[in-house]
Amino acid sequence: MASGEFRLRLCCGKRGRLRFLSHLEYSHAIERGVRRAELPYAVTHGFNPHMRLAFGPALPVGTAGEREYVDVWLIRYVPVKQVVEALTSALASELAPREAAYVADKASSLGASCTIGVYEAVVTGGGVGEAEMSHALEDVLRGGELRVEHRGKSKVFDLSVSLPKEIAVTSAGFHEVVVTVTTRMGPTGSLRPESLVAHVLSRSGITGAVTLVTRLDTLIEDENGGFRRPI
Amino acid sequence: MSSVWDRVEPLLGLVERPARYVDSEWGAVRDREAAYRTALLYPDVYEIGMANQALAILYERLNSLDDVAAERVYLPWLDMIEAMRSAGVPLFTLESVTPVAEVDLFGITLPYELTYTNVLEALDLAGLPLRSADRHDGHPLVVGGGPCVYNPEPMAPFFDALLIGEGEQAVVDIVETHRRARARGALRPEVLRDLARIPGVYVPSLHVPSGVPGGLAGGRGTDTSVPVVTKRVVGDLGEFRAPVRPVVPYMDVVHDRIAIEVLRGCTRGCRFCQAGMVYRPVRERDADAIVRDVMEGLHCTGYDEVSLTSLSTTDHSQLEEVLLRLGHRLQGTGIAVSLPSLRVDAFSSKMARLVSGPGRTTGLTLAPEAGTQRLRDVINKNVSEEDLLGAVETAFASGWRRIKLYFMIGLPTETDEDIRSIGRLIANVQAAARAATRPDQRGAIKIGVSVSTFIPKAHTPFQWKGQIPRVEIDRRQAVLRESMPRKGVDLSWHDADVSVLEAALARGGREVSGGIEAAWRAGARFDAWSEHFSLDRWTEAFSTAGLDLESTAQRSYGACDVLPWSHISSGVSFDYLWREWERAIEGHVTPDCSFESCTGCGVCGTGGLGVEIVLGGERRGVR
Repeated sequence: MASGEFRLRLCCGKRGRLRFLSHLEYSHAIERGVRRAELPYAVTHGFNPHMRLAFGPALPVGTAGEREYVDVWLIRYVPVKQVVEALTSALASELAPREAAYVADKASSLGASCTIGVYEAVVTGGGVGEAEMSHALEDVLRGGELRVEHRGKSKVFDLSVSLPKEIAVTSAGFHEVVVTVTTRMGPTGSLRPESLVAHVLSRSGITGAVTLVTRLDTLIEDENGGFRRPI
Repeated sequence: MSSVWDRVEPLLGLVERPARYVDSEWGAVRDREAAYRTALLYPDVYEIGMANQALAILYERLNSLDDVAAERVYLPWLDMIEAMRSAGVPLFTLESVTPVAEVDLFGITLPYELTYTNVLEALDLAGLPLRSADRHDGHPLVVGGGPCVYNPEPMAPFFDALLIGEGEQAVVDIVETHRRARARGALRPEVLRDLARIPGVYVPSLHVPSGVPGGLAGGRGTDTSVPVVTKRVVGDLGEFRAPVRPVVPYMDVVHDRIAIEVLRGCTRGCRFCQAGMVYRPVRERDADAIVRDVMEGLHCTGYDEVSLTSLSTTDHSQLEEVLLRLGHRLQGTGIAVSLPSLRVDAFSSKMARLVSGPGRTTGLTLAPEAGTQRLRDVINKNVSEEDLLGAVETAFASGWRRIKLYFMIGLPTETDEDIRSIGRLIANVQAAARAATRPDQRGAIKIGVSVSTFIPKAHTPFQWKGQIPRVEIDRRQAVLRESMPRKGVDLSWHDADVSVLEAALARGGREVSGGIEAAWRAGARFDAWSEHFSLDRWTEAFSTAGLDLESTAQRSYGACDVLPWSHISSGVSFDYLWREWERAIEGHVTPDCSFESCTGCGVCGTGGLGVEIVLGGERRGVR
């Protein structure tokens, strides 16, 4: 980091229709929002200067996010409240920031430190009910591992590692449940909640489908196994 | 209006790049209550269409009118078309996700000939009859515009009306005329007659083809049986600001930057160039307006690059001042200024220093067009080899390491010697680039050469000349390949099949519409995407319509022949174009009237376009 720069951590959303943006599209949108907000952003000093930004773990296209984190480096201190207000008026409401905070220069990168994702998957269908889903899930979890096929590649997840917290199933109305899943993300891959739920539905024969997935939180796992937010 | 979002959303998980269909971009005009609704289509996918400046202008202009709303439409990619057809979802507007069939006016730009089948795909996906004759009062008015309307006949039956020329004011006239006609209960035929009275509006159903092979009557504008439709122009570019709040896409699109139009029209007089003829006269925005619009545009969009656009930006009389001022204002922001089209003879060392950022990393593009001075004189491309080598030297000495050069083959009077000279010229460019580059950086030098096949376009001095035969294109491309330096040149050339089709669609008359419809019915879509193009399918489709594709492309005309586009006027007289054709054959060059005396093209003064032209900038009062 160049001396005198301020590392500001933003907690933004990726909601509604904009959940269909790719990670690259999302990062461009945030970058342009920072410019429109006229924040005094720092610029890299290479041959092709560009804004200094760093993002947390990418969301799959179609998955919404309630707390997505971005670090942006400023060359001048701007009060956090002012940053949030400026960005709120410079970004689509679906991407608007919830909060922001300055973090230490030496703080680990978001990409490396955010290893926990808390997701909510809405499952809808004629055969879907809270009890049926809970039983079907327990059945899958007892198997200990899950093989997932994605884009022609096969990957086996150790569920005791990939799922660090108990899964919750709650009814959300007639033929609709919400499955809340906490997954551990890592450089070798992350278990997608929709993959888990799709497997549960398929194995149990429950008629239903995942209609919406939202990452509610992105967390840092500390040395003692506790979870905390990056801000 | 009925949103179909609930039916679109489930499809987005099934298709590639769903960001094409979600709207919600910064700058998009949403939730606009209006009694009169329009949809503006670019007949290709989102990432191509979003770069179109004309639609951005019309979008802003229409949305500024009381009680009028404009929304965007792009042709969905094939996977989405299939998903939509399977689910029974019609073509929809992005902003309100309204079926296109429910709007009042469906505006379609015709950017290039290879999008013609996409227009039919869009009409069909919208649930609209393809042909104007089959549409009734419950359907939107389908109005076309854009560069291809200067020969409107191949697509004429598919449109209710076509606007020839610039749309800033004309689009308002069209909307108001349509609204007034409907308010008094006029039926479609009467609406069309009203539209035909608007200057610049061509209503194909009111012009009956004469039966003359090749199209309608009116060779060299002398046939009075068909009224000539003269293009609309904006007299003073300063009257309409460049859009500074355009829609900012989320996904990567072509030309992903804010574009500020600094100059419209070009009087360099290149004889092959349709844009140079039909967009006359030259009008400039002044330096203050450009700097104001650039700064406001960057602020409103958050882009990191601004492009100063025109047919020939280096011809702007105040360009150096503009670049200097922008350089000061943008220092330390990482924001770059780029110029899309550079004239070889106007590229100075000062200009090279002033153009910043990605311009240097992405390379420099120059267009000598022909390999010999003789042929450059024929096409009136008034640049010399010395100019070119000087520009190359300047660019490489200023830090550029990549250069792309555009050439054409198949130009009138071309010989094999002209083609071989392209190779010799490139070798000299290589040597100049190396000489201007430090020895340790010479490995980074990249020279790209792109060679297209000449297509004689309507309203140019070469309009009377047919395209060279298909086999001759192949032979000349072989001569070109043999003449190129063996090392250090990345040579690419346009697919000859595509060039033949482009020529047939650019030069044919109304009868060609049958071939276009037959091609679409045979599955032609996205013809500009090489993986989806098939000349065999097109040849067969033309044959179904009783036409021969190659002879349509190759058809030449005599001085007094009826041309399919004779009833359309760009303001440049056919007498002038014929004089230019004769001068081309004689190898005489014609100077640029912006800097020397009037060349008598007919655009300015009485009998021209009927508006007072404000040149702007430092050109003011030159003539």
